Amino acid sequence: MTRTLSLIAAPLAALVLSAAPALAEPTSTLTVTFEPGARTGAVMVALYDARTYTGGQALRGARLDVATGQYTASFEGLEPGEYGIKAFHDVNGNGRMDTNPFGMPIEPYAFSNNAVGNMGPAGWDRARFTVDGATTQTISIR
Amino acid sequence: MTPSRRHFLMGAAALSAAVATPERVRAAIARDVAAPWALATADLDADIAPRAMRLVQGRAPVGLEGTLFRNGPGKFRRPGGSATHWFDGDGLMRSFSLSGGGVTLAARFADTPKRRHETALDAVVTPGFGTVGDARGRIGSNDDASSANTAVMVTGEKVWALWEGGSPLRMDAATLATEDFVTLRPDLKGMPFQAHPRFAPDGTVWNVGTNGDQVIVWHMQASGALIDARMLRLPRASYLHDFTATDRHLIFVLQPWVFDRAGMPFSTQFAWQPELGTQVLVVDKADLTQTRLYELPTFSFFHLGDGWAEPDGTIRFDVAAGADVTFAIEGARALVAGRGPVPGEPCILKLVTLHPDGRAELASSGVTAEFPKGDPRRAGLARSLTVHVAGERGSRPLPDGLAIQDWNTGRSHAFSFGDTQIMEEAVFVPRPGTTAERDAWLVAPSINLAEGVTELHVFDVAAVEDGPVATWRADVALPAGFHGAWRG
Repeated sequence: MTRTLSLIAAPLAALVLSAAPALAEPTSTLTVTFEPGARTGAVMVALYDARTYTGGQALRGARLDVATGQYTASFEGLEPGEYGIKAFHDVNGNGRMDTNPFGMPIEPYAFSNNAVGNMGPAGWDRARFTVDGATTQTISIR
Repeated sequence: MTPSRRHFLMGAAALSAAVATPERVRAAIARDVAAPWALATADLDADIAPRAMRLVQGRAPVGLEGTLFRNGPGKFRRPGGSATHWFDGDGLMRSFSLSGGGVTLAARFADTPKRRHETALDAVVTPGFGTVGDARGRIGSNDDASSANTAVMVTGEKVWALWEGGSPLRMDAATLATEDFVTLRPDLKGMPFQAHPRFAPDGTVWNVGTNGDQVIVWHMQASGALIDARMLRLPRASYLHDFTATDRHLIFVLQPWVFDRAGMPFSTQFAWQPELGTQVLVVDKADLTQTRLYELPTFSFFHLGDGWAEPDGTIRFDVAAGADVTFAIEGARALVAGRGPVPGEPCILKLVTLHPDGRAELASSGVTAEFPKGDPRRAGLARSLTVHVAGERGSRPLPDGLAIQDWNTGRSHAFSFGDTQIMEEAVFVPRPGTTAERDAWLVAPSINLAEGVTELHVFDVAAVEDGPVATWRADVALPAGFHGAWRG
């Protein structure tokens, strides 16, 4: 069991929070509110589309300093369309997602739609959602 | 086409191959009729509220007060998909409370993320030891796949439902209400905590969790507080359900059922390679880098007895040894099917002796056995008695009685209920104020197939052959459990 589940750790630990420039006339805004289980450290958020969600670079990223009460990330000027979110809570603020000795995450992680994977990160089919106009997501991360 | 002799003969051959011989009809009937032992893997649809059991034989032993907690699978089947292997049913925690001569029975399902998700879907979708699962699984961590169904450890006012691949699940001992998964230290969250902790003479508790050839060694206070956790690497990535210990050593039996490839269900990861033999790794508790490896003839196993070290350095422990892994792969599926033959030979109780000169020996008692247990006052210390369930045979795949093996005399003291009962694991409960190994009771439930209900029995260790000194009967049948723990 642990051997297979360790597949979860690597893709999440490799979350790259780089921003790509918007290409067309962007019109939509996405507001993502996190409900963390701990009030320390930071929640690291990455936004993807269908092309990038599985293994690609994030379109946008945000670091929420939950220790100072920052729980909401806003992504403005998005093309209307389908997106997916991956996030983890760096509870101890050391800049990475810590794992146990068998390689399993010990800090909370989450996906849009509060999706849970099936022995791995939640796939695009579970995490995708539509952004159109002013869109919100509330994600429990604990 | 003109009919020809050749065509006719071919047709007749095909027909005769399809004809139902009396043997085939009888075999088909046997496959379709629920087995007489099918109650052992029946489904329980809801928790069992506390209820009195009725004394039906003998009298309650004076001084026997406490609770037997037992865990085991209680539900396998759902309309949209089912657990197909005995090890994958939802954990059902049971308590048999003995007080003032009466017994109260209660049982509650472990309220796991797996059970909640599968209840909502009305389908078993989570892969397990032998259950495939499907794409609807929601598994973000090992604990999401836990059925919390294997064993129980008592920690003060709480009981921990133990599984093999994840964290203990804390439940309230009085109400059996599920609380939460236990994290023994934040950096070890989700590390596996297996189902067979070993109790040391100094009052502390040892346990392990494995991932391939990696092992975490847990050392705890009896309260469940962590003393330390260390990592160890095994010489072989065997399937390891149980380890054992002496007062000074941890003992890992490495059967030749070895990690072969990733995948689910879990049991498909291992390949049976009998040509490798079975190895035993002995590790110094004080320094996990101090190890010694012994070689034994091939056997398979799930369960070991407590070990002990003698003054000259000889180490001994018992094992319910199997010939191969047929039961684990096929037999445990047939048990859930509830009909047809159950493949796999019963295990035999054997004594492993590890000599100081590096030789290892395996001595057979010749007695069919599972779930070996010893006197808790002697855990990790020299002892002569091992209690175990007995009576499994090909035509009757589950045990029908208890036996005590006396390793000093070589004698087995057995009691059989016969085919009308399925015997469950017994715990060894010392008689208050005594020290001798025989001054103890065995407390164990059974399923009375004739009455269709669960019973609780107390045996006197000194006279197991005489049968139970007291039997209480419930008004309900619980499916067979796996492992229990006593809280006095």
